[in-house]
Amino acid sequence: MAEEKNQNYEILSESYEQEMLAKKKAAKKGVRGETPAKLTMNSLMDILTILLVFLLKSYSTDAVNVTPSSDLDIPKGKTMLTPEQTVVITVSKSAILVDNNMALGVKDGKVDGAQKRPPEDGYFIIPLNKMLVDAIEKQRRIAAVNPSAGKSLGIATIIMDADTPFRLLTEVMYTASQAEFSKFKFLVIADATEGQG
Amino acid sequence: MAKKRRPTEEVDTDLNLTPAMNLILILIPLLLTAMEQMKLAVINVATPQIGPASEVPPPDQAPDEKPLKLTIALTDRGMHLYARDQVIENKDDPLGPTIPKKDGEEIIDGKPVPGKVYDYEKLTQMLADIKDENPVEENIIINAESHIKYRYIIQVMDASREKKDGDKKRSLFPNVVLAAGVA
Repeated sequence: MAEEKNQNYEILSESYEQEMLAKKKAAKKGVRGETPAKLTMNSLMDILTILLVFLLKSYSTDAVNVTPSSDLDIPKGKTMLTPEQTVVITVSKSAILVDNNMALGVKDGKVDGAQKRPPEDGYFIIPLNKMLVDAIEKQRRIAAVNPSAGKSLGIATIIMDADTPFRLLTEVMYTASQAEFSKFKFLVIADATEGQG
Repeated sequence: MAKKRRPTEEVDTDLNLTPAMNLILILIPLLLTAMEQMKLAVINVATPQIGPASEVPPPDQAPDEKPLKLTIALTDRGMHLYARDQVIENKDDPLGPTIPKKDGEEIIDGKPVPGKVYDYEKLTQMLADIKDENPVEENIIINAESHIKYRYIIQVMDASREKKDGDKKRSLFPNVVLAAGVA
C-alpha cells in the first residue's frame, strides 16, 4: 500500500516537472500561454505607401515642371493663375528649349544672327520656328482624337530668365506667332505675400 | 562521443517594418513641404491682332471718340504713357518720360544696390485715374526698349493689373498686349 502511494507520488511529480519545464520554455520565448500582442501595421503601411506614391507622382503631373538652375532665374509675379498643359518655350541664359528639347543656343541675351531671318536684324528664329511648327502639329493630332486637349491649341507657356532682354522676348513671341501661337502665358513664381487673382 | 544536436528553434517570420515606417514617415513631410516651396503661376499675354481695323466702335464708346489704346513704353529714363495716340505729359518735365525713375534700391544678383528704379506705385495711381475715366476699358499695351530686362516687364504687368485700396482690390487693366520694341 505504501509502495503504491509512493509510485503515485512519483508519477505526479514527474508530470509536474514536465509542466514546469514547458512553462519555463514558454516564458523564455516571451509567451505566457497566449498569442503575443502585436500591432497590425499592414493597413497603415498601405495608406502611407499610397500617399508616398501619390506625392512622388504629383511632381511629374504638374502642368509645368521647372528644374531650378542658375541659368534660369524665373521672376516673381503677383498673379495666382495656375499653369496649364501647353507647349512650353523655355528661354534660359544659355539656350532656348521647346518642351525641354533644345532648339538653339543663346549668348549674352542674343541668338546667333545667322539663325534668324532676315539674318542679324530679323525677328524670325528659324530653328525655334521649326520646332514650334512640329509642336503645334502634334497638338493638332492629339486634339483630333481628344477634343478636350484642343483647348490648349495655339497657347504657349513661356518660361524666361529674368535678365533676358525685351528684344529676345519679342523675337521668341514673333517666331511663335508665325507658328500659329496666338496666346501666351508667362510663367512666374507666385509671390505668396501678395497673392492676387 | 557523439555530439548532442541542438533542437531546431522556430524562426520568427514576421517582417520588421519599423525601419520602413521610419523612412516613409520622414519622406512624407519632406515631400509635402517641398511641394509648397515654389508655387508657379502664369500671366496671360496676347500679341497684337493683325487685320483691318474695326469700323464699328464698341457700344460704350462715343462714335467720334478715338479708342483709348493705353500704352506703356519702358525706357532707361522711365515709363512713357500714351492714351488715344497722345503722350501723357509729365508736367514737371514735358520732354522727359511720363513717370521718371526714382531713387531706390535695385536688386542685382540678390543684393540691393542703390540706384534709379521704376516708380510702380505712381504708375498704379495714374492707371487708376485713367480707369476712373474709362471704366470699361481693360486692355493695355506694353512696349519697351530692346535691352530692357524681362523682370521689369513682369513688374509693370503686376502694377497695371490691379490696385489695392486697403483690403479691397480694384481691377485696372488685366488684359496685356505685348507690342514690338521701341525703336
